[in-house]
Amino acid sequence: MSTIKLEIVTPQGVIYDGDVKIATLCGKEGEFGVLPQHASLVSLLDAGVISATTANNKELVVAINGGYAKVDENKITCVVDGAVVVKDEEGVLSQNIEEAKKLLKSAQTSDAAIATAVSKVESIKR
Amino acid sequence: MASLKDIKRKIKSVKSTQKTTRAMKLVSSAKLRRAELLAKQSRAYAQKITEMIQEISINLAKANENLDHPFFKVVKEPNVVDLIVVTADKGLCGAFNSRTIKVANGIMQEYENKGAKVRLRVIGKKGIAYYKFKQKELLDEIENLSSAPTYEAAAAFIKNVVNDYLDGKTQKVIMVHNGYVNMITQEVRVNHILPLDPNEFQAKAVSTSELEMEPDDDTLLEALINRYLEYISYYTLIDSLAAEHGARMQAMDTATNNAKEMVKTLTVAYNKARQESITTELIEIISGVEAMK
Repeated sequence: MSTIKLEIVTPQGVIYDGDVKIATLCGKEGEFGVLPQHASLVSLLDAGVISATTANNKELVVAINGGYAKVDENKITCVVDGAVVVKDEEGVLSQNIEEAKKLLKSAQTSDAAIATAVSKVESIKR
Repeated sequence: MASLKDIKRKIKSVKSTQKTTRAMKLVSSAKLRRAELLAKQSRAYAQKITEMIQEISINLAKANENLDHPFFKVVKEPNVVDLIVVTADKGLCGAFNSRTIKVANGIMQEYENKGAKVRLRVIGKKGIAYYKFKQKELLDEIENLSSAPTYEAAAAFIKNVVNDYLDGKTQKVIMVHNGYVNMITQEVRVNHILPLDPNEFQAKAVSTSELEMEPDDDTLLEALINRYLEYISYYTLIDSLAAEHGARMQAMDTATNNAKEMVKTLTVAYNKARQESITTELIEIISGVEAMK
């Protein structure tokens, strides 16, 4: 199965840079999934959760507080204001969950979006 | 030959200068480390957002879309050019500021020869002082920003520039600063920040499919470009700050070494003078004894 490059960058540095099979992004207009060979797209990202399946079938979950995403056939670039990795190839990073919740709650967006994202982060714990 | 006392005084003063320069070097190297870290962190973001904007503009140019948008409107022979010169607030950093100013002057000359009016926006006390001395008219003078850059202040500054650009008061915006390469090298960087000219970007392998926007309207693009400009100006300031500390560290290191060298030569001169006076004294005593015989 082919892969697509996913990059998540914040002003604090690169959060994730690697190949994924599928990525689900939290667009302002709703969630959308991106597979390799996706058509070009620029999207506004809401506060929420980016989840992806990495090239070696591990799950990746990153909480973000809004930004922009640019998608083309072989690359997804997410330029976001803040991001916390909640789950990476090593497994759940439990110490990051509180941080992720704090980040989401500080985001300036609708309460519903925040609540959805927070519950998503919480559900990872179990 | 200078008297012993004079030489001694001189040695003392050189030594105290050396102390100052050494302290300044240490301060700069500590500050450099912090600025470097900051620059490193934000470099990735700056690079990505630049890449993103470039790809989008190349894409739009290909599709012949949105080219009437003011941000993308390239004027071949601009009448008014805004030149943003970023210098340090403080001196004692070698040729750091003068190099930036030299490049800025070159650009200014180039556009003035073409008949364009160049408006200066200067950040940093040193640049302001220079252009004031040259009696150039300054559109913007910003102090205390280059020594402690904050995102908010950088955004506020660039907003002014962008507003002027959108109002048609200027047709091109160029930013000049001395950027950080590594601890001992700086490089003057010239950044044509507005308009976004797709022809100036290196053509990369860009996707061929038509670009879609979500949510579908111009405000997204505009917000993204504004974000880009804000971040680029912030990053420029950080980059300049890191370079400034690098340059100062180097200058102060050289100064400390020079002082060391000077103390050495002065000490030799002092010893010589001392020996000479001892010899003279001895001769006097001996000749006095001889005379009494």
